[in-house]
Amino acid sequence: MFKYSIIKMIRSIGGLFWMFIFPLVLMTAMHFAFDSIYSYQNSIDPMRTILITEGQGVYQEGFEDLIESLSEEGSEDQLFILEKADSLEEAKAKLAGEEAEIIFVVSDGDVEVYLQENHSITSAAVAGSIADTYKQRYQLIADAWEQDPAFAMELVNDARENVTYTVSQKEKAFGAEPNPYNWYFLSTLVMGILFMAMMGINMVGDLRADVSAVAMRYSVSPARKGQMVVTAFAARVIPGIVIVAIQLMVMKYVFGIYLGNDYLKLALFVVSAVMFSISFGIICGLCFKGDVHQRGNKATSLIMISVFLSGEMISQLPGLFERYFPIFNKINPATVLNMALFKLTIGNSAEGFFTNIAEIIGLTVVFLAIGIAVLRREKYGSV
Amino acid sequence: MSEILSVKGLVKRYKELIAIDHLDLSVKEGEIFGLLGPNGSGKSTTINCILALLEYDKGEIKIFGEPMSPKAYEIKKQIGIVPQDVAVYDSLTVYENIDFFCGLYIKDKETRKKYVQEAIDFVALNDFVKFKPNKLSGGLKRRLNIACGIAHKPKLIFFDEPTVAVDPQSRNKILEGIEELRDKGATVIYTSHYMEEVEQLCDRILIIDKGHTIAEGTVEELKGMIKKSEIITIEVAGLDNKALDMVRESNNVYSVSYENNQLKVEAGSGKHNVIDIVNLLQDKGYKMKKIFSEQPTLNDVFLELTGKQLRDE
Repeated sequence: MFKYSIIKMIRSIGGLFWMFIFPLVLMTAMHFAFDSIYSYQNSIDPMRTILITEGQGVYQEGFEDLIESLSEEGSEDQLFILEKADSLEEAKAKLAGEEAEIIFVVSDGDVEVYLQENHSITSAAVAGSIADTYKQRYQLIADAWEQDPAFAMELVNDARENVTYTVSQKEKAFGAEPNPYNWYFLSTLVMGILFMAMMGINMVGDLRADVSAVAMRYSVSPARKGQMVVTAFAARVIPGIVIVAIQLMVMKYVFGIYLGNDYLKLALFVVSAVMFSISFGIICGLCFKGDVHQRGNKATSLIMISVFLSGEMISQLPGLFERYFPIFNKINPATVLNMALFKLTIGNSAEGFFTNIAEIIGLTVVFLAIGIAVLRREKYGSV
Repeated sequence: MSEILSVKGLVKRYKELIAIDHLDLSVKEGEIFGLLGPNGSGKSTTINCILALLEYDKGEIKIFGEPMSPKAYEIKKQIGIVPQDVAVYDSLTVYENIDFFCGLYIKDKETRKKYVQEAIDFVALNDFVKFKPNKLSGGLKRRLNIACGIAHKPKLIFFDEPTVAVDPQSRNKILEGIEELRDKGATVIYTSHYMEEVEQLCDRILIIDKGHTIAEGTVEELKGMIKKSEIITIEVAGLDNKALDMVRESNNVYSVSYENNQLKVEAGSGKHNVIDIVNLLQDKGYKMKKIFSEQPTLNDVFLELTGKQLRDE
């Protein structure tokens, strides 16, 4: 049964696509999209830039630090030659006279960008990217502050140590720094893991005689139901772990995504996340109505929504939920998985990581206990 | 012959609906026992209760003399099931499917290999062992379905409408196969709403409708339960009422109809029913073109016992 369960999974094109191929395709697309931006930046000469600060505050200080760090003469990360101006009018005059290419105006909570009339695509891309990234980054800290002040402080300290979010070298852009772009890769990986819920639904189809005719053969046979459940679960967990391991290797060695330094914790995350997803699938399979395909389609919709709301496409969404409806992040499986992985790779926050892992393992145990109790059943009210 | 299966007073309710109402049946070793009834009559429900898949409200089920339950693993080892739906994995080949389901019963690899090959030979799927089920025709899929149910050589096999949506050639092969299984010593319980199949195949038949037993016996015994024993059809032009009345008054005749030059006479048992009617019409100067006589079918039995057609098309 174990051997054939694995063969079935390997030959299941649809399942493999969602769990394995689709996340890699999405990552490849993101890699090429971001790679071109950073390669482009890599080839640029430092641009004459004026920074005007309106008012005083943490927000303005952080941005000043950032621009100054990117203006260090002789640094390989140098993007700007920072000039001074006393007022916006004076700066605009320099812009008009082509003495400067970019003006940043930072006020409390906002960064405005002004460009030369005949600005280059490079200056527009770099200035826009830096301003936007800083705003996102600051928002991330603000959101984290409400949820986890200790974690937020780490982000602030990182920022104060002149950790940049948009730099010229690709490996640094996707590297060890807390980088919002990493979020997309990590949540794509999590999406693939969550699609392993399909394997849980297939388990329900295989083992419940009131769901499929195949399961009727199992129930009529002398094979012990409890053994079948355990074997079927193991036959899905092991390939699931292998798939995620391959994806992580591709992320690290092909796309250069930083995955933290603690591989033991990463392994713990992978094992618990795969088991969580399969057990989540079992619960979906038991709760939804219809045949196996209909149950699978319903679960796919649920996973898609869960992944979207966890910030797969709009990274600010979890922050919004944290502010207005925090319980949602706690019950959204994709967010729970995302946060565990994100904390592992970004914040060195062991406490935050273990809190999320404990939540994942706790839910897995509950789902599995319910799943095994129901799937072991051999007699039904209706077939 | 010893009793292989015994069901006594089986009652299964779905809330207010009584799906099986005090059903009794007894199956002897080595026979093909037919469970005949229209769709929704309770055939599959009965099978599922016997197999301990369904909870039931009342009754006693014994297989090989022992009470049947979900934990009756020794009994289950001797049972094979061919479900109504084709129950195989599309991602496994023909060989792998049979091996997989046989593996639920037979753990020894060598024995299993031998049994799987014998099952493949039995259903004549040798040319398709490496095919996936979705590449097989409907008839071949049904044969694979059968192979998965019988590969472990069970003593008692349940066939739940195995010929639904199967072409006549494959149907005949399936029916021949079932007879061969019986000849090799297996006991078969066969459910169908195709009366011709049941009539051709089964040693004894239980007719059920709405969960009730309508009749039980051999084909001959069942046909003997109804008044009609012969249907005579004669193509004859211009029959008048007087002639029709004379036919009606003939011995054994209890129903006469005449439409589009077709005279249809239903008669009870009698040795010379056809000759008597033909002589009568000849004496009156009628010229007959075609004459044929049919025996009553199980559908006629069902019609007479329940007042409705067996087939629900």
